[in-house]
Amino acid sequence: MSSAYLPKLAKIVEVTEMTAIEKLFKLQFVNEEDAKSFTFKPGQFVEVNVPGVGESPISICKSPTRPGPLELLIRRIGRVTNAIHKLKPGDVVGIRGPFGNGFPMEKMKGYDVLLIAGGLGIAPLMSVLQYVIDRREDYGEVTLLYGVRSYQEALFRDMAIDLIKHPEKACLRTFLSYERDDPVFVSLMRDHPENVRKGVVTVLFECADPYIKPDKVCAVVCGPPIMYRFVLKELAKRNIPPNNIYITLERRMKCGIGKCGHCIVGGATAIRYICKDGPVFTYSDVLSVRGLV
Amino acid sequence: MLKENFKDFFETLKKLGEVHAPVRRGRLFSFTKVDSPGEVALNYNRTMLPPKKYFVKPFEEVLKIKVGKGYELIVEEPKSLVLLGLHACDINALRVLDSVYLDEPQDDYYQVRRAAAIVIGVSCEPDEYCFCKSMGTDYAWTGFDLFLHELGTSYLVRVGSSRGESIIESMSNIIGEPTKEDFIKLRDLELKRSRMFKKILNTSLLPDIVDSLHESEVWVVFSDKCVSCGSCNLVCPTCRCYDVTEKVELNLQEGVRVRRWDSCFIRSHALVAGGLNFRPTRLDRFRHRYNCKSSIDPRTNLPFCVGCGRCSAFCPAGIDHVNVLNAIWGLA
Amino acid sequence: MTGNKIKVGFYSLTGCAGDFLNILNMEDKLLEVFKLLDVVEFALASSKVVHEKVDVAFIEGSVTTQKDLEVLKKIRENCNVLVALGNCAVWGGVQAELTGLDAKDLMKSVYNTTENYYSFLGEHKAVSEVVKVDYELPGCPIEVEEFLELLIDVIRGVIPEFKDYPVCVECKIREIPCLIVERGEACLGPITVGGCKARCPYYNAPCIGCRGPVKEEANVAGELSMLLEKGWKKQEVINRLRLFAARYKDIAKLLER
Ligand SMILES: Cc1cc2nc3c(=O)[nH]c(=O)nc-3n(C[C@H](O)[C@H](O)[C@H](O)COP(=O)(O)OP(=O)(O)OC[C@H]3O[C@@H](n4cnc5c(N)ncnc54)[C@H](O)[C@@H]3O)c2cc1C
Ligand code: SF4
Ligand code: SF4
Ligand code: SF4
Ligand code: SF4
Ligand code: FES
Repeated sequence: MSSAYLPKLAKIVEVTEMTAIEKLFKLQFVNEEDAKSFTFKPGQFVEVNVPGVGESPISICKSPTRPGPLELLIRRIGRVTNAIHKLKPGDVVGIRGPFGNGFPMEKMKGYDVLLIAGGLGIAPLMSVLQYVIDRREDYGEVTLLYGVRSYQEALFRDMAIDLIKHPEKACLRTFLSYERDDPVFVSLMRDHPENVRKGVVTVLFECADPYIKPDKVCAVVCGPPIMYRFVLKELAKRNIPPNNIYITLERRMKCGIGKCGHCIVGGATAIRYICKDGPVFTYSDVLSVRGLV
Repeated sequence: MLKENFKDFFETLKKLGEVHAPVRRGRLFSFTKVDSPGEVALNYNRTMLPPKKYFVKPFEEVLKIKVGKGYELIVEEPKSLVLLGLHACDINALRVLDSVYLDEPQDDYYQVRRAAAIVIGVSCEPDEYCFCKSMGTDYAWTGFDLFLHELGTSYLVRVGSSRGESIIESMSNIIGEPTKEDFIKLRDLELKRSRMFKKILNTSLLPDIVDSLHESEVWVVFSDKCVSCGSCNLVCPTCRCYDVTEKVELNLQEGVRVRRWDSCFIRSHALVAGGLNFRPTRLDRFRHRYNCKSSIDPRTNLPFCVGCGRCSAFCPAGIDHVNVLNAIWGLA
Repeated sequence: MTGNKIKVGFYSLTGCAGDFLNILNMEDKLLEVFKLLDVVEFALASSKVVHEKVDVAFIEGSVTTQKDLEVLKKIRENCNVLVALGNCAVWGGVQAELTGLDAKDLMKSVYNTTENYYSFLGEHKAVSEVVKVDYELPGCPIEVEEFLELLIDVIRGVIPEFKDYPVCVECKIREIPCLIVERGEACLGPITVGGCKARCPYYNAPCIGCRGPVKEEANVAGELSMLLEKGWKKQEVINRLRLFAARYKDIAKLLER
């Protein structure tokens, strides 16, 4: 019986340590059929099961335009994620999904794309970033604002540094903010004062402003919960239409398919299931649904 | 159908599946398996647990886990079930549950059991906690196979589905055609029932008021009295939250996934890893429940509260759903 | 860890040893359990007092004497994971309600001597008040099923999960008529952490709170005013509240009078 509740076996084929608390897992479905039937959109997530421990919702950290194994970037923080971090290539996990609405890549066609990521928020945005790079002709200018705490804590730091040094490679503009000094980022800032700033991600607006054309741009935001309020304020200030601002949200989840109720948010006039109606919402939704951010 | 024929009616139902109906247990009623018509308490006020318990079990193992090897859903063979004696509110609540659990992707456990259940409604009289009339859920339009309307010495049997139709076809010897007098009696009884409601809640603009009076002191006053026991959620026929846990046997090779009815009054309901809680206080959770219950199911356009009165009747702190909302309306 | 066995120690402080008894009583599972463990010390099963390094130390009993205090600190130094088992270790136990009494008076009334022979500290503390505790499993005594789940998690190096819902949740799940609603009884189910499957209400007896309060959540003031409304006297309610949780902050406050 196929069921949204039945995990499919997937084998870990590669584990890369990204930081002290984050690892990138590459997974291959054990069953050929499962691999074939697994199609997804940028911004969707899966429920990862460590057998006998539990499940966690994790964003798919890669674009459907790229073949190869499923990629998940996972932070070690609690029961399930600690157990995942102990797994090695060859170990088997369970995967349900993909779930959630994902980003409307079709609707964004023809627009400039402004990606704003804070910390682990880069994980779901990676799928969008790769997607627009692979379908470069479908989108206008692409700009990435990426905020991290420090070099040590920065995910995909080599990629970010490379993009700053060689913007022509992927035809996109990259801006990086960091909060704590270290030699690598300090010298990067010295060499690229236009692209690198010290502070939280919102300091990058100043650098990126010349390239933000409010009526031509779609903004895509992901970061820790506190980040949204500040970033949305900046975007609203620049008169980007609320319908063109996309955010992806996080709540406790158990089912991923709109049943278990944990991810319910909102007021009586509008309640939403983050897992099913989201995790991607627009700023318009934020304005009409209580407590979304 | 004359009441003296209820016995035969019941025996026929038994042939269709296991009959479960409200049975008296002390001061309370409970949906329970019944073998003889005498056990059935059709004039009950309400059961503590709603019929939901047949479709999403309060506590159940849902998945077998062979560590590293695979998974198996634990879905039992569908067993025909006849649920006899549901009130209109509970039938409407099932419609709400259907709209959530059967919405794609469906909940397989729910779907299998729901499809195997015949639902037979029965009319009722409101007590001091009922406010289904205010919610517009005091009448069942759909969501049942047969509905028995009390007419004193007989029942008027209303058909709600093709399955219901074929059931009564097989009972033509005990169910006759209703007469004009039957309809007049029905009208009078329904009008009388309609006047019996003592709990009244104004529901026009209710979602807007509940949402916009988020900062009202009323929430503070009542949430101070609330002991976060979760009972109001667990007895509610439309609450659909469940929690999931997993464990393994001592051999570390075989495990199960278990699900259990949950309540949004529990700390972990909105807690995420790292310690951030999206509803950290009892006040937040109290308001959340009222927001959730005061909203409208977008698929059925039914309210998420069907006015069954369970939460009020079974709250140990005596917090009454309608009194809280009326206080919000400034009426108390 | 030696092989895939983990080294564990079971240590008793001041208590009735009921929790360890409960563990020893799970005969059918005991052998299987001990196959997975390398037990270096079982304070109840053997009386030798070694202080080897262990992966996991299980503690029962409250910190009541100077000796408890010293032993506990030593255990903490010698273990990776420290687990408090049972109401005494988690909340100080029923003896905790004696907080504030003078050691000399106590010795006088019980043993008829004024000498503080047991070096009584003057109060019965929870383990977490003295050293860092990694996990706490409540209950008086603990539930064997819960202990097994915890043990299995610890053995396979998984962070265990603990219940954070009250007894009422389990009471409703079993469709037990509520003793407060139906009979006005002074049930402590709403503020007591679940895990017992509502054993007492199931047998028609109100919950006396033996598992201790739902941490940081229990609405003690609400429970009190609810029971006052049901006609109970304040002192009657306080006497019930203090029995197993005299050291819970909101209950301790009520005891300060
Ligand atoms: C749509 C979505 C996408 C996510 N993508 C990623 C990602 O790409 N990388 C990553 O590292 N993390 C991601 N997270 C967060 C991740 O799900 C949690 O960190 C993880 O579930 C914690 O599980 P745990 O068992 O280790 O923690 P515990 O605190 O032990 O949590 C116990 C259980 O509660 C639930 N839970 C706890 N925290 C969360 C949470 N934040 N969100 C949802 N459920 C939670 C899970 O069922 C979890 O198993 C995402 C969350 C959501 C909702
Ligand atoms: S909220 Fe209360 S009255 Fe409304 S459906 Fe639920 S239990 Fe019944
Ligand atoms: S009221 Fe609470 S428990 Fe009930 S469905 Fe809504 S969120 Fe879930
Ligand atoms: S039943 Fe009453 S006391 Fe219990 S959680 Fe609901 S409102 Fe609070
Ligand atoms: S009997 Fe006690 S434990 Fe059970 S629901 Fe009532 S208050 Fe809660
Ligand atoms: S995660 Fe279960 S409803 Fe959203």
